[in-house]
Amino acid sequence: MTSKPSSIALLSAALGMLAAGCASSSKPPTEQLAATTASERAAEEVGATTMPQAAYHLQLAKEQTEHAQLLMKKHENARAKSVLERAQADAELALAMARADQERAEAQGALDRVRALQKSN
Amino acid sequence: MKKAVIATIACALGGIAGCAHNPPQELIEARQNYATVSSGPAATVAPAEVHKARESLAIAERAFLDDPDAQRTRDLAYVATRKAQIAQAIANREMEGRRKAQAEQFYQSKQGEMIQKVKGDLNQTKAQLREEQIRQSAALDQERQARAQAEQRAADADKRSKEMLEALDKMAQVKEEERGTVITLSGSVLFLTNEAILLPNAQVRLDQVAEALLTTPDRDVLVEGHTDSRGTESYNLDLSRRRAEAVRSYLVSRGYPVEHIRAEGIGKARPIAPNSTADGRANNRRVEIIISPKAKSEPH
Repeated sequence: MTSKPSSIALLSAALGMLAAGCASSSKPPTEQLAATTASERAAEEVGATTMPQAAYHLQLAKEQTEHAQLLMKKHENARAKSVLERAQADAELALAMARADQERAEAQGALDRVRALQKSN
Repeated sequence: MKKAVIATIACALGGIAGCAHNPPQELIEARQNYATVSSGPAATVAPAEVHKARESLAIAERAFLDDPDAQRTRDLAYVATRKAQIAQAIANREMEGRRKAQAEQFYQSKQGEMIQKVKGDLNQTKAQLREEQIRQSAALDQERQARAQAEQRAADADKRSKEMLEALDKMAQVKEEERGTVITLSGSVLFLTNEAILLPNAQVRLDQVAEALLTTPDRDVLVEGHTDSRGTESYNLDLSRRRAEAVRSYLVSRGYPVEHIRAEGIGKARPIAPNSTADGRANNRRVEIIISPKAKSEPH
């Protein structure tokens, strides 16, 4: 899809708008895009890529963000905004899951130390 | 929200007018996820997040009532599902954090206990060491004291003997012989010629001898009378015996134990000087007091 010339994309978007009766006439959701990509980065920083479930949701977020960007190129801004909301929810879930996993690992470490202490005593 | 619930019930019953649409899969999932998270521990552990999930679901339900088939409704339901899952993840994190804090607290208190125990053990060991040290030094002191006492006793005994000998030395001739310490008193100092009665001066002398003897009253003492060669054998024996007896009686009267002292007359049998000269004869007229080298339990 991305390899297609942009003029064709623009044309098809314009045709789409006409066909839908200018349903997506709202302005591009650039703020929502920025918020979503920020959430994705935050999830990556916390290590979402190393935990399978978090990585899955991060992947979903990224795919949907890409999809939203395509929609924006087609000027389907309302639809793009909605897809970005989905993407951000997935990114936030990835972040929360990664943090929970991190905490779980730390709790496990603390318990292991307690067991080692009890064993050594 | 209320409307949505009513609509849901209505649809479940089915066949009622105005309920032509089944909820999309996304909305069904959102409802299930919210039901799960709001009935679990998350409700108390992460109430703010559960609240957000409820609001998100309410928005999706309203959209469903407004436009059941719209993509927007499905998107909002999708987001509501994620919000419920986020609430669950945040609650999980919170619970893990509590578990961690508990473990850390337990670890610290346990560690503190162990440190206290080690300290206690150490103090006990120290106390035991100190006790042992005190006991040892007390034993050492006792030993040292006992040794010092023994040394003192030995020194005292030595000193007494020496003092006795020195005292005797001053008043008479004192010799160490095999039979013991021999004190020789001149006969002329003690008696008049041919007499066996002590002179007053002799008593003073003998008082000093008695005093010296009484420092070791457990020794056996022999008093021997000796004469020169003039006169008959029997006369000399008798005279020497009476003189020895006079000295013995006097020493007994001064307190020397009677069972430890006896008298003997030797006569002229054991001269210590030639009888051919006046000086020699004067030396031979004598009384010897022999103190046995060491105490004997039985008297002679």
